[in-house]
Amino acid sequence: MDALVQGKTEMAKQQLCLPTEGGQSIFLLSELEEDALKEFFNMGLGMAAASLSEMVHNEVLLSLPQLRIASYEEATRLLVSGQEERLVAIRQNFTGELSGTALLIFPGAGSLELVRTLLNEQMPLEVLMELEQETLLDVGNVVLNAFLESFTQMMSVQFEFEAAEFLRGSSQFLLDLESHLTAQRRALSGGDAERAFVLMMDFKTHDEERMQHTLSGFVVLLFSQASMEILKRELKVIIGAF
Amino acid sequence: MNKKRVLLVDDSSLARMMVRKIVTTRFPDWELVEAKDGAEALSLAETTLHLALLDFNMPGMNGIELAEILMIKYPGVALYLVTANIQERMQQKADALGIGFIKKPIAENKLMEIMR
Repeated sequence: MDALVQGKTEMAKQQLCLPTEGGQSIFLLSELEEDALKEFFNMGLGMAAASLSEMVHNEVLLSLPQLRIASYEEATRLLVSGQEERLVAIRQNFTGELSGTALLIFPGAGSLELVRTLLNEQMPLEVLMELEQETLLDVGNVVLNAFLESFTQMMSVQFEFEAAEFLRGSSQFLLDLESHLTAQRRALSGGDAERAFVLMMDFKTHDEERMQHTLSGFVVLLFSQASMEILKRELKVIIGAF
Repeated sequence: MNKKRVLLVDDSSLARMMVRKIVTTRFPDWELVEAKDGAEALSLAETTLHLALLDFNMPGMNGIELAEILMIKYPGVALYLVTANIQERMQQKADALGIGFIKKPIAENKLMEIMR
């Protein structure tokens, strides 16, 4: 079977979703602070979904925000469990008052179908594969920028994006957050090497013609402890205003 | 003087706080009634409602489903979907139902526009 056709057939089965296992967060936010952070994520994902929806000409279904603030050890364990074996990710570091790493993660077999949808043309598999990396980098750039835009809208923090990177590999490899943190430390001077915090939300696209979900994925944000402290400070300010 | 009544349904405490502050400071002639989801909104004993601001993405029923019920329960009420989900398709769903669409975070001038 043609790899692309096989990918399309299998795509309906592929649902990347966040684990819901409970656990004690090691970074404590008050109930209201956590609510506020979820709402920012909700707004960020709304903006990101609007951008992605325009690109794929389909509605992007958004789940209720799931927020997990976890150590990278815990987050890696939760993320890897039950995921597809092969994944692709677009990784983008951001620097400034808030520094960290943003990841947009898709199932591996779904990425070529996404590229085909985005380019809106029937192309031979080899051409699609050639364009895959460049196209997904564009997608990642647009989606992650839109997502993080919500932080700058609501908080008095500024940051800039580094160039996006395309990654492909096993879930064990791509969801090993330690490797992303190593890259983050390399890219961001003064990064906090000791501990990171992970914020995650999932989404799926919806194909009205086939009435099935065609692609799902999630956004992961890795913040250093210093950035999380800034985030918490900003949350206090915003909540205090109301 | 009888106050007008606005119902706000949103599972986010922050979102409710933001609207509450605007309504209580700018619209003293309005009474704000809050609910955290559709079920709680429908359990309210309010007999009169002039305006309802409904989040879309909530536990249980979504804002569109809630709007369909409120239309029957409160004929003539002005309904608005207030959501961060700003996709064109979402706006089309609101249009199809004949209700307004407001982007989150809700701006004070937008509330001024619809509550005047």
